[in-house]
Amino acid sequence: MVELECQHCGYKWDYRGDNEYYATCPRCRYKVKLPEDKAREVGRRKLSLELRRNLLTEKQPTKLLGVAGTVNRVIEEFGYGKNMLIQTLLRLQRSFGWLPREMVSEVSKQLRVPLSQVYQIATFYKAFPLAPRGKHLIRVCMGTSCKVRGAPMVLDKIQRTLKIEKDQSTPDGRFSLETTKCAGCCALGPVMTVDSEHYGNLKLPDVERILSKYE
Amino acid sequence: MVKTITLRIDDKEVEATEGMTILEAAKKLGVEIPTLCHYEELEPYGACRICSVEFERRGGSRIVAACCYPVEEGLKVRTRSPKIDKIRKTIIELAAVTVGEDIAGKMRELADEYNADISRFRSKVQIESTKCILCGLCVRRCVEAIWDSAIGFVGRGVTRQIAIFPEKSAICSVCNYCYVVCPTGRITSTGPNPPFPSVDDVLAGRK
Amino acid sequence: MEAVKLLSSPKEIENLRQRIRAKRNTGKPVISVCVSTGCVALGASRVLDAFKAELEKREQKDKVEIKQTGCLGFCEQAPIVTIYPDEICYFKVRPDDVPEILSKSIDKKQVVKRLLYKDPVTGRRAQRLKEIPFYKYQLRTLLECNSKIDPKKIEDYIALDGYDGLVKALFKMTPQQVIDEVKDANLRGRGGGGFPTWLKWETSRKATEEPKYVIANCSEGDPGSFMDRSLMEANPHSILEGLIIGGYAIGSHEGYIYVKDEYGLAVENISKAIRQAEEYGLLGENILGSGFSFKVTVHKGAGAFVSGESSALMTAIEGNIGEPRPKYIHTAVKGIRGRPSCLNNVKTWANVPLIILKGSDWFRSIGTKCSSGTAIFSLAGKINNTGLVEVPMGTTLRDVIYKVGGGIRGGKRFKAVQIGGPSGGFIPEQYLDLQVDFDEVANVGSMMGGAVVMDEDTCMVDAAGYFVDFLLDESCGKCIPCREGLRVLSKTLNTICEGEGTREDMQIIEDVAETMRDASLCALGTNAANPVLTSLKYFRDEWEQHLKEKRCPAKACKALTKYYIDPKKCQACLICLRECPAEAIQGEKDQVHWIDQERCTKCGVCYEVCSFDSVKKLSGEPVPSPPPKGMRPIRKRGG
Repeated sequence: MVELECQHCGYKWDYRGDNEYYATCPRCRYKVKLPEDKAREVGRRKLSLELRRNLLTEKQPTKLLGVAGTVNRVIEEFGYGKNMLIQTLLRLQRSFGWLPREMVSEVSKQLRVPLSQVYQIATFYKAFPLAPRGKHLIRVCMGTSCKVRGAPMVLDKIQRTLKIEKDQSTPDGRFSLETTKCAGCCALGPVMTVDSEHYGNLKLPDVERILSKYE
Repeated sequence: MVKTITLRIDDKEVEATEGMTILEAAKKLGVEIPTLCHYEELEPYGACRICSVEFERRGGSRIVAACCYPVEEGLKVRTRSPKIDKIRKTIIELAAVTVGEDIAGKMRELADEYNADISRFRSKVQIESTKCILCGLCVRRCVEAIWDSAIGFVGRGVTRQIAIFPEKSAICSVCNYCYVVCPTGRITSTGPNPPFPSVDDVLAGRK
Repeated sequence: MEAVKLLSSPKEIENLRQRIRAKRNTGKPVISVCVSTGCVALGASRVLDAFKAELEKREQKDKVEIKQTGCLGFCEQAPIVTIYPDEICYFKVRPDDVPEILSKSIDKKQVVKRLLYKDPVTGRRAQRLKEIPFYKYQLRTLLECNSKIDPKKIEDYIALDGYDGLVKALFKMTPQQVIDEVKDANLRGRGGGGFPTWLKWETSRKATEEPKYVIANCSEGDPGSFMDRSLMEANPHSILEGLIIGGYAIGSHEGYIYVKDEYGLAVENISKAIRQAEEYGLLGENILGSGFSFKVTVHKGAGAFVSGESSALMTAIEGNIGEPRPKYIHTAVKGIRGRPSCLNNVKTWANVPLIILKGSDWFRSIGTKCSSGTAIFSLAGKINNTGLVEVPMGTTLRDVIYKVGGGIRGGKRFKAVQIGGPSGGFIPEQYLDLQVDFDEVANVGSMMGGAVVMDEDTCMVDAAGYFVDFLLDESCGKCIPCREGLRVLSKTLNTICEGEGTREDMQIIEDVAETMRDASLCALGTNAANPVLTSLKYFRDEWEQHLKEKRCPAKACKALTKYYIDPKKCQACLICLRECPAEAIQGEKDQVHWIDQERCTKCGVCYEVCSFDSVKKLSGEPVPSPPPKGMRPIRKRGG
């Protein structure tokens, strides 16, 4: 039996389990690392002598697993302030692809921001996808200059080629289609970006040629 | 020492302290300015714009929200005028687009007073009535009650709505903070099943 | 390149500058390739790789320097390559042209004639930038050095007198003197509002709360503008320098730069610039030994146009949603977390080092009496020379569009120009001689910003509807007038474009627009009705035709336009038949083609692909009856 204190919510309890690396806090579900001496105590209860020797000599890094771990690593980089919430979400979205429900809950827990506020931000901005996306993201610019130069026809052609509508993904998961308000290349309308590559001065035959480059 | 500021509201003089808003100064005087998204104990929000009042500024008139504008020395505020009446009438008609045909309570009184034709815009924009004008009172009260609120805004612009977070809503069965402040009667009850869509449903609908 | 050493006095930075200049004065040819987002979209990175590979192949890597620079402005002719020291400019360069450029221009000191700019009117080739009409009428005080600076190398900026303005401000001027200099220069905010910059700084300086903040706004949400992106990508240090000088003037030690998430290259360049400035001691504690400390953080936007508004931006930096708040108390007094915050546009900050270095008299000598300096425009739309232009304030719109811009694309007629984003409103032909200047533009109901040119093929009702839809999507939704008002406006405009508008609709539009203007919370709502109101004011006859005759004069509204193949011109080539997505075209080889109006979706593909000009658009007139079956095409002479 080991006495533990959760560094996230401050709860103190007696740990009776037999995991010798970390314990789950009964109140907030945070993964609490077992301090070395306590880990030794737990380990002594069930491990063989050889494994015990390995435990004592090797240093185990604090590892939060799964979603909590990913989130924790990004937050460590930006700092535990509420003002870095949007930057944290942007980085997570970039590395993971989209923001599942569990990830948003973790961000709320670790940054100590109410869940309703995190969701208010995640749904307010267009940069945060809350549903899984295709492998390649196509963004067609519908700004003033691009529209005047024929962007709706390009969008139409992409929709017809891939057989999907705006804000949808192809069934095979290859592409997701979105529109953006201004990509910043107004002089070369119509403009389309696929992942992070820009394509300007688009004509209708270019669409199929560009899309076939991506698999 | 808190500074006293003198201003005129509807040709009557009132003395207010620094930091008061025009709405508070008018209340002190006994002049009634209509509001929809205002509640005494909460911070002013400024969303419904019904409390718009007019005052003169450098040759032209300026229209501001009375609930947010801090009092200034020598202001000459008018709470009723043809321009203000037209603004309030149009705002009620615009709000009626989401509220629907059967308006109750405070909004009905305002509609009668300003002769608003509630189906004027509603007949143009035919959408399902949600009975919600997004005044934000319920969310602000919930935040005041439990900080990690059970309900919150999701979305932006016309897709904005109020959703409930199931994991935080355990307290709803004993709380009724949001029920008492809703101006349109959208929140019919609280109890174990408050009448808000769950955030998962909203996100799935938006996919 | 020598090792980076922390600079701790003005003398050290001057010595560094001399050392860098001495090292560059070797007469080695330099090839500058523009790799800003615009040029890359047209293949500039492939040209760059081709240059590197070819030099490697010829083993000339040490004899020629390749520089990756930022935007040169002439986006229409991208990719652009400049060869120094002879200042030869090549346009529309392809990777295949690279060996010829190297062998002719570098080895033999000749020019590759076909890659030089060709004047469309006279046919003459121009070698230097100054001879090209696009550049001749500009005054590029801010953008001129773009072709000599690699944004990822701070040494380039230092060599061109970079950070000299900062040295002068920190060591030879007091903060009050800096504000006085900016006041004398009459610098006005280039975010569109034209508010006197010195007044904002003075307000922040007088406010007593600490800490104070300075913010650079690069969240260019207006569709059609890319001035801030180009400036941030090409010369991030000029903005940094301006920000530090501004911080010194108002007494702030912390700065934020807010960049839109879509501008990937801009974020990369400014982050690298900050790191390099910190390495050299130009940011951080005790800058250059002056005792002044300053730090800068980059904040990325996440895709909301409304967050570009100053109070919304500050709320977003705090970590909340970017909703504007009523600005009854100025943000210069109560901004981020209730502290004095001074927000200015990127272009304003970039002008500050030049004013400090060259003096306010120099700045006032450019431009008009009430607006000094230059105006940077992004010219886009149906114009021949699209790109980034910098002209002195007071230049007429006609000069900008026709002299610098080269006139309307395809020889069509000019209809309107839209300046300043969705809040800007349309400016029709009768105001073309308007001088570009803050007050003049405001008098016609518009705002300074990027310019999008529209020709006779643009329907003004449709364009007004486009802006209302844009604002509807971007509205934050907090206040009733803006949210519901835009919804009603959008639906009404759609009905008019579909030919079902009535007189009542016009009354609705006027009432709603007036309420939005008076009662909205923020500038998005109050200016949202501008496109609709200016379109109504200047193009009333188009609206009347939509309402009464169900006709769209520009033939752009799908519901009011029909496509028709002229049997006398059709050559029966089967191309449109194959391309039609609705399979609405009937015909065979040697039989004139015909469009079935029931199936036609009005997508416009046939109009685009026909090379014989036989597809016509009709609006407001009945479609002629089909030609007799089996009618043969009238073949043009010569096949």
